[in-house]
Amino acid sequence: MEKIIEIENLSKQFKDIKAVDNLNLNVYKGDVFGFLGPNGAGKSTTIRMMTSLISPTDGKIKIFGSSLNEKRNEILKKIGAIVEKPDFYGYLSAFKNLEMLGKISGKEISSKRIMEVLELVGLEKRYTSKVKTFSHGMKQRLGIAQALIHDPELIILDEPTTGLDPQGMKEIRDLIVYLSKEKNKTIFLSSHILYEVELVANRMIIINKGSAKVEGIVEELLNSNKLRVTFEVDDTEKTKLILNNTLWINKLETELNGKFIFLMQQEEIPGLNKYLVQNDIAVKAVIPTRSLEEYFLNITQKES
Amino acid sequence: MKKIVPIILIIAGTCFGQATNPDVIIKNLKEAFSKVKDYSVDADIKVDASFIKVPEMKAKIFYKQPDKTHIQSTGFAMIPRKGLDFSPASIFKGKYTSFYVKEDIIDNIKTSVIKIIPLEDNGEVILSTLWVDQSNNVIRKIESSTKTNGTFVINLSYDFSLNKYPLPSSITFSFDVGRMNFAPRNEDSPGMAGEKKPAKNITGKVFITYSNYIVNKGIPDKVFEEKEK
Amino acid sequence: MFNLVSIELYKIFKKWRTYIGFIVVAVLIPVIQIAMLMEGQRSINFMTRNLQQSFLFVGNLLNSYFVSYLILNSLAIHIPFLIALVAGDLLAGEATGGTYRILITRPVSRFSIVTAKFIAGMVYTFLLILWLAIISLGLGTIIFGTGELLNYSNGSIIILAQNDVLWRFLLAYGFAVLSMGVVASLAFLFSSLVENAIGPIISTMAIIIIFMIVSAINISLFQSIRPYLFTNYIDTWRSFFDNPIDVHTVIKSVLILLAHIVVFYSAALFVFKRKDILT
Repeated sequence: MEKIIEIENLSKQFKDIKAVDNLNLNVYKGDVFGFLGPNGAGKSTTIRMMTSLISPTDGKIKIFGSSLNEKRNEILKKIGAIVEKPDFYGYLSAFKNLEMLGKISGKEISSKRIMEVLELVGLEKRYTSKVKTFSHGMKQRLGIAQALIHDPELIILDEPTTGLDPQGMKEIRDLIVYLSKEKNKTIFLSSHILYEVELVANRMIIINKGSAKVEGIVEELLNSNKLRVTFEVDDTEKTKLILNNTLWINKLETELNGKFIFLMQQEEIPGLNKYLVQNDIAVKAVIPTRSLEEYFLNITQKES
Repeated sequence: MKKIVPIILIIAGTCFGQATNPDVIIKNLKEAFSKVKDYSVDADIKVDASFIKVPEMKAKIFYKQPDKTHIQSTGFAMIPRKGLDFSPASIFKGKYTSFYVKEDIIDNIKTSVIKIIPLEDNGEVILSTLWVDQSNNVIRKIESSTKTNGTFVINLSYDFSLNKYPLPSSITFSFDVGRMNFAPRNEDSPGMAGEKKPAKNITGKVFITYSNYIVNKGIPDKVFEEKEK
Repeated sequence: MFNLVSIELYKIFKKWRTYIGFIVVAVLIPVIQIAMLMEGQRSINFMTRNLQQSFLFVGNLLNSYFVSYLILNSLAIHIPFLIALVAGDLLAGEATGGTYRILITRPVSRFSIVTAKFIAGMVYTFLLILWLAIISLGLGTIIFGTGELLNYSNGSIIILAQNDVLWRFLLAYGFAVLSMGVVASLAFLFSSLVENAIGPIISTMAIIIIFMIVSAINISLFQSIRPYLFTNYIDTWRSFFDNPIDVHTVIKSVLILLAHIVVFYSAALFVFKRKDILT
């Protein structure tokens, strides 16, 4: 399959912080690629490097098979990007902003095309309004519009749903799905919300402190057989006893204050529950968490 | 008969000889000039002076007896005030004392040199020396010292083939007005800052050529009432 | 490049701050002209009073040329400020507005972006000086008419014939565009270094004022530095009103000012090409 983005050993050192540390990732044609990480993980820095806003300290970025360093303009003609919050020339109208940007996008962009794109993001009625009058949500949508006007092959969206209400978020997700499925675009979507990514992405990577932690196909990662299941019981000692000589003990990760945490597959939950109940253990609660989600929560909590 | 001969001699003397009585000389000048009732003339003015650069200028000068003068110019012109009015009346106005000095030759022309000292205190001129061409009754040269404006010399040339009046065809006005009083502006050419330039005397010459005299054709008074344009 | 330059010019002229310069000129100059209408003849008479004792002056020395010449002296401080106001915002304004991100992620090189902005800044400079010329000479001619130009140079009075003045003004205004171009380039360079337009505007003005003070103080150390300060050459426009014109001085000044523009532009380009866009 055609590799659209190849990032190899990418690093970025600011004065006293290594924002990106030896990052490797690949994005294939047609992917909706989830680029996940808590705030400060290095997502925006990576995206800025991919869009030539920042130069890497080390490593290589290849897009469409060419080095970004060498074929920057050619590559950027085929990329549409929102980098962090969408800022525009507030003293100009939505239409004028897009028209201006269209002129330097490497293609002839007609007024018809601009209106098409504005309609796609739901801003066609406000095309003459000055952008400084726009709400955050409207600017976000205009941000997507500017990424799409020249019909790029690769669309890079940096936290596109930030500050949107649930309806707005859904609209963005629907748009992503539409662009991917109907228009065959490759989408690079960065977010700090796992839930959002898992709804649209097919492949993903989690980064933290500038380096990759988890990478793979979303379905596989999320439905990985291993779940962490917390069994809350009333009698800790008794539970320990009855678990001792069983296979369940191998799956026990930890125990604390009546909470037994097992690393097990989803299908095994009823079996263990039945075993405990049959041995007169009152099971007060069974709480499964996907290991990925928990992992992600852990690192997010650490950050805050 | 005895009375006639001296009278003839005196008349002959005054007509054909050079008078040495300054009053007579002046009187003759005035008489000759009295034929000029009014005139207008085109003047071409060139200034050659240290510390002033002006382009060649053109003006029209009007005169009407006894002392009316007016200048007109489409552009800028500067004319020596003493070069406006050649009437003996303007030169010999007020009370003065005069005396004959000597004969002198200027440009191969015999002239009589007389000195005029104004007796009144209110004028600018304190002493004038005149070289008078008695055969034509015109002044060939004036040298004057003024109270506050230094000295000036006017050399006058005449072309009697062009007009028969005692009106010059050209004059050269040489002046020395003393130090410039204005502070030199604080603009310096690159590299030369704050150098105080020593005040120098303004000296120079003004050459005026007169042409196209229109004499005694009548000039209405209101011409002289117009503001100098 | 043409597209980029026209976009940059469009952005410049869509901002209200651009019009400050044109409005200031449109107000300040008529104010000066009205003041000259009332007091100008007196000052001319004062300037020439010595001469006027011996000479009768005829003609219109208080004319639009005289007043426009006076106005050109305002190049010292007022106009540079109005230039820096716009030039200092050319790059820094994008940082403040966060719009680098939609601009630099486009398939146009940083070289093109910087150069287009620089050219646009120069065009603005040209237009402001043109406006200055139109109001000074145009409006001035309506109010005062034209005539010979009276001015001083190197301690002499120079009066230039009426038909000998306009071409000198054209050269002088052309030279003004060049010298204000240096101001614009300096502000532009500062603009490439920071994220806010205030810094470049203030720094540019500070440099101009400091250079002028150093040039004016009569200490030998300062005077030896003087030839290296570009403000020293801004006044060379006056040479065009000398008779004859000191061509050597003019050419030297032109080359020095051009060199400054090239250096400032190149420095801005160098900075910008390497800059990490973090805004």
